[in-house]
Amino acid sequence: MTTDPDVRRKTQADVAFDEGMDDAIVDELVAAPAFETLDPKYRKSPGFRKTLRAHARVVDVQRGDIVVREGDWGNSAFFIVSGQIAVEIEPPESGMPPELLGRRQDRPKGFLQALTQLFMNHRFPEFRDRFSFAGSRSAVKQRGSGRATRIYLQDVAGVLDKYAHTILEPGQFFGEIAALGRTRRTATLFAVEPGRLIEVRWQGLRDIMRRDAGIQALIDQRFRERSLRAFLEASPMFEHLREEQGESLSELADGVELKVFGDYGRAQSFRKMAEESAADGFADEHLMVREGDYANEIIIIRGGLARVSHQFHHGERTISYLGPGQEFGLSEIVANHGSSQPVPFQHSLRAIGFLMAVVVPAHLVEKFILKHPNSPWHRKTPSEERSRKLAAYRDIDQGFIEFLVGNRFVNGTATMLIDMDRCTRCDDCVRACAASHDNNPRFLRNGPIHNGIMVANACMHCRDPVCMIECPTGAISRKLDDGEVDINDETCIGCSSCSKHCPYDAIRMVEIRDHRGQFLRDRTVASRAPITKATKCDLCVDQKGGPACERACPHDAMIRIDMNDVETLAQWHNQ
Amino acid sequence: MTLIPFSVRRRRYSVALIVLLLLAGAIDLLLSITLQRTALVSGWVLFALVAVLASYNLRKRISFLPLGSSSTWLQVHVFLGLLSIAVFGTHVGWRVPNGYLEVGLAFAYLVVAASGMIGLWISRVFPRRLSERGEEVFYARIPRVLRRIQVAAEREVLACLTETESTAIPEFYSEELRTFFERHRYFWQHMIRSQRGELELIRKMELHGRYLNEREKQAMNSLAEYVRVKSDLDFHFSHQLVLKVWLFIHVPLTYALVVMAIFHVLIVYAFSGAVH
Repeated sequence: MTTDPDVRRKTQADVAFDEGMDDAIVDELVAAPAFETLDPKYRKSPGFRKTLRAHARVVDVQRGDIVVREGDWGNSAFFIVSGQIAVEIEPPESGMPPELLGRRQDRPKGFLQALTQLFMNHRFPEFRDRFSFAGSRSAVKQRGSGRATRIYLQDVAGVLDKYAHTILEPGQFFGEIAALGRTRRTATLFAVEPGRLIEVRWQGLRDIMRRDAGIQALIDQRFRERSLRAFLEASPMFEHLREEQGESLSELADGVELKVFGDYGRAQSFRKMAEESAADGFADEHLMVREGDYANEIIIIRGGLARVSHQFHHGERTISYLGPGQEFGLSEIVANHGSSQPVPFQHSLRAIGFLMAVVVPAHLVEKFILKHPNSPWHRKTPSEERSRKLAAYRDIDQGFIEFLVGNRFVNGTATMLIDMDRCTRCDDCVRACAASHDNNPRFLRNGPIHNGIMVANACMHCRDPVCMIECPTGAISRKLDDGEVDINDETCIGCSSCSKHCPYDAIRMVEIRDHRGQFLRDRTVASRAPITKATKCDLCVDQKGGPACERACPHDAMIRIDMNDVETLAQWHNQ
Repeated sequence: MTLIPFSVRRRRYSVALIVLLLLAGAIDLLLSITLQRTALVSGWVLFALVAVLASYNLRKRISFLPLGSSSTWLQVHVFLGLLSIAVFGTHVGWRVPNGYLEVGLAFAYLVVAASGMIGLWISRVFPRRLSERGEEVFYARIPRVLRRIQVAAEREVLACLTETESTAIPEFYSEELRTFFERHRYFWQHMIRSQRGELELIRKMELHGRYLNEREKQAMNSLAEYVRVKSDLDFHFSHQLVLKVWLFIHVPLTYALVVMAIFHVLIVYAFSGAVH
């Protein structure tokens, strides 16, 4: 037995994207046509080899393999070494149907179908039909095993005929915008023929961009063309620019700055951050704007969450929080417009974990909002909505806001809140959930409580759903309208990746049973381990009338609420 | 999403109830003036009301059907329940009815109505009490938590005995605390939010403190803390028990009431020939 108390510090190589990456593979990758566009000097450098070794992996694809799927969240980009990749280019409304991409079909049960649940629900929880394992009824199939499992399209020729697409060739890359911005994939890509890809996770992509000005410029240009313009166009502040043939939007997109705050990877450990936040105040949150600084820009949140705070004696008091699409600083710029007395930022702004923001300089705000003839901001108070929201924030107990922000519950779009002053602990909600989901509830009536309000242990359908990253089969997905996050039981392979990534412990792995109540076991492994599936709240997408839990509460103690809807939150909190 | 404040909702239902009561009174008066048999009308109205009231429990069992929210059903249940009291009074002529079945039926109705009103009061008052005291604990987990507290208290006693070789703490535990930690205590005191039992024990522990050395005083302080935790657990147990048990009176009696009411209707019609 060794007595040496020292241990070796972990290096990047110990936490490599692909543990099997060796020098021979790296040599092959460096020489691959996929990186031909890179600066030759950088391509030959040890730094590039190091980046590939730590952050890249080789992905061999077969014909029909779905590489990325529209709506999914990913944290990597792909460089094509060989083979062809098809990109579906039709808009989502007329694009490939969800079931073709392995998403669960959303068909709410009819009244009679719902009624039959009363008699047809199996008496054992988590019953699955043994025969469903013989072959998937889904339009997509699976191949490979474990983390290497992939889903593929059977009828590639048919899909190529039916849906408009473009072909990417070796040397091209894709997926970088979603990877860097931690936003959802905007298109589906699948292999037209067998080939090889190099998958580079966002950290590697960031390193490459830092060292290679060419690729950075290319990605920046792509981002401004494809993503930023659409984002600005969708913003209520700039919607009046849509009518101007895109010239103003282009000027605006070229003039704004994209800023990234916080650590991309840290969002996966919200709970740890929350603990640190409780201990050190805001120590772990990146300060974006300091109260009192000169207001010469507005900040629009593109991804992530931010805390708005105000100096209070020797500390800071949380005033509100901001989510995607919300702005900070407009009221100050408006106040400064045409005034000789400058008004500085009235609050501080901090990134809660990873945050991507679009910074619009004051001169562009003046040109496109304050002085623009078509701007509706002439006619109404620019901060009307914000004033209403701030009023709602003021109505809510200060400690409750600190509690929600501190624990990162503001991430939820369907957070389950229970008023413990009204809850009679009857568990009707739990029973209703179980009755709608294989006799097994998809949430726990348990969780942190602040001043009589419990945030129950149920999937919040986060705005930033980190659980979706790295699902090998895309079984966990979000509805394209940023709706509920759902798991397709047919394509879930029980790898527990989503469950491990969920910072709120809202996804549970369950062992499934046959009609006799016996656990279904995996005959392909020696231990014949029980087969597990990931389960979580699906907001009763297949039930008419919405979440059964909320409808089953006799005392109006429960609400499923979008934490961005502060006015409803205030109303519910104070009733 | 717009929420209707509870006060607004309560006001609306109250207005509806008053309107219905006035309407029922007017119909009753009209029928009396025209020498109609009011008991027949009020009887059928009451039967319909009881059937609707009883259906709430069925709705709870088929929660996945889009039949409106349970809270709306409960509101309607409460206000129709109140309306049914007036109809019941009219039906029996505000006096004790004759006959064994009728007395039994009236008694069942009154117990159901009373248990419903008590249940409503409990449902509104007890949750707040629970969230004001102690930690939230699942009802099903209470026995496990109780056992854990007991084991922790006994470990403290044994540790003190081993370290001090004095029987002062073990004797006190055996005489005063053993039964307290073994099972739930002071049910009725908790119901009226009295902490008399707990404070009595704490007082005894403080009195006993004068006979203890430093280590034993330390053990006694720990035991006092366990007494407080256990008392909070008893408080939760007693309140959660009542929140569950009242339904075991209200619901089965409702079904018995429906069966008896059907029997009552059959008898009324079987023997109505003589009246006609």
